[in-house]
Amino acid sequence: MGKVIVVTSGKGGVGKTTSTANLGTALALLGKTVAVVDADVGLRNLDIVMGLESRIVYTSMDVIEKQCELSKALVKDRRVDGLMLLAASQKNNKDDIQPAQMKAICDKLRTTHDFVLVDSPAGIERGFSNASAGADEAIVVTTPDVSAIRDADRIIGLLQNERIEPINLILNRFSPELVGNGSMMDQADVLDILNIDLIGIVPEDSGVITSTNRGIPLVYEDTSPGSQAYMRIARRLTGQRIPIPDLEHKGLLTNIVNWFTRKR
Amino acid sequence: MNISIKQLFGRRPKSSNIAKQRLKLVITQDRMDVDDRFMTRLHNELAEVLAKYFEFSVNSVQVSLKQKGNSYVLVADFPYKKFHDMNVGQ
Ligand SMILES: Nc1ncnc2c1ncn2[C@@H]1O[C@H](COP(=O)(O)OP(=O)(O)OP(=O)(O)O)[C@@H](O)[C@H]1O
Ligand SMILES: [Mg+2]
Repeated sequence: MGKVIVVTSGKGGVGKTTSTANLGTALALLGKTVAVVDADVGLRNLDIVMGLESRIVYTSMDVIEKQCELSKALVKDRRVDGLMLLAASQKNNKDDIQPAQMKAICDKLRTTHDFVLVDSPAGIERGFSNASAGADEAIVVTTPDVSAIRDADRIIGLLQNERIEPINLILNRFSPELVGNGSMMDQADVLDILNIDLIGIVPEDSGVITSTNRGIPLVYEDTSPGSQAYMRIARRLTGQRIPIPDLEHKGLLTNIVNWFTRKR
Repeated sequence: MNISIKQLFGRRPKSSNIAKQRLKLVITQDRMDVDDRFMTRLHNELAEVLAKYFEFSVNSVQVSLKQKGNSYVLVADFPYKKFHDMNVGQ
């Protein structure tokens, strides 16, 4: 029986879809069977971020309306074994789906996959209820800024009410340089406020943008810091104990190096 | 002139620290607002305890959180009619 994990946030644009695409791919690269589900009905993006947009025929809406079998609606990612995508309908909206229907889909997917990752839309409304309906666990994505963290706290409260546990945090778009000079909160600050477990820190990485342009998740490229961060998070999801490297420390070191090597 | 020596010579507080302080405050408030059940329970339990000592009408009771500088204070307003005679029943 696989695990259903909802990837969510309060604020939009903090990296839920990026995280779902990369963690789904990373878990498949580690040999797991994975279904990634786009729950952002009406504003679907997971297909294009993963580079599978041209192959979508059916969506979760067709499955719910019994226009096709679930197995037929899954798009197989041909670049790696064991990875499938269930796309969201673009012509419907979030109220056209009931939480119980999403839960039924997740429950079916977990019988055939080790991991089911659900990409949630931003916000605390119906889209969120649908995305979290079938989830055992949650990953909350936030960036280290005041509005994203405040909204993350709101979502964490809602997840706790639904008895979804554990709730793990991804701190995304982290910049060691900005932390080093005191203009960005570090992980300790964020964890002190949100009081949940950190599963990983993803640095600001321009590779995220170029890989999204190409439709090839960053984790296929193993050198970039973002890719390595996502691979480590995927390993942690499989139960491996991998320490979270102190990115802040590296920032400090970089600062010192910069100070000695700067042009005067 | 309203420029302190600290502002002239000292470093300005790091903006990340300011962000953290502000977030802690606002999130405390958010959690209380969201958790109406918590405030209702607190209200009822406080009333229960205080009813042993005072006579008051439950409708006049107000329990709220108020911001005071860098922290929150719990303000409980129990306009009482009279003290109970604590010797009664002993
Ligand atoms: N670590 C990162 N480094 C650089 N850019 C990033 C990083 N993470 C995300 N981005 C960029 O931020 C933007 C938003 O990312 P994404 O679409 O994953 O967010 P989202 O939370 O799914 O948004 P929405 O709430 O609209 O669904 C994208 O342009 C993405 O490329
Ligand atoms: Mg998204």
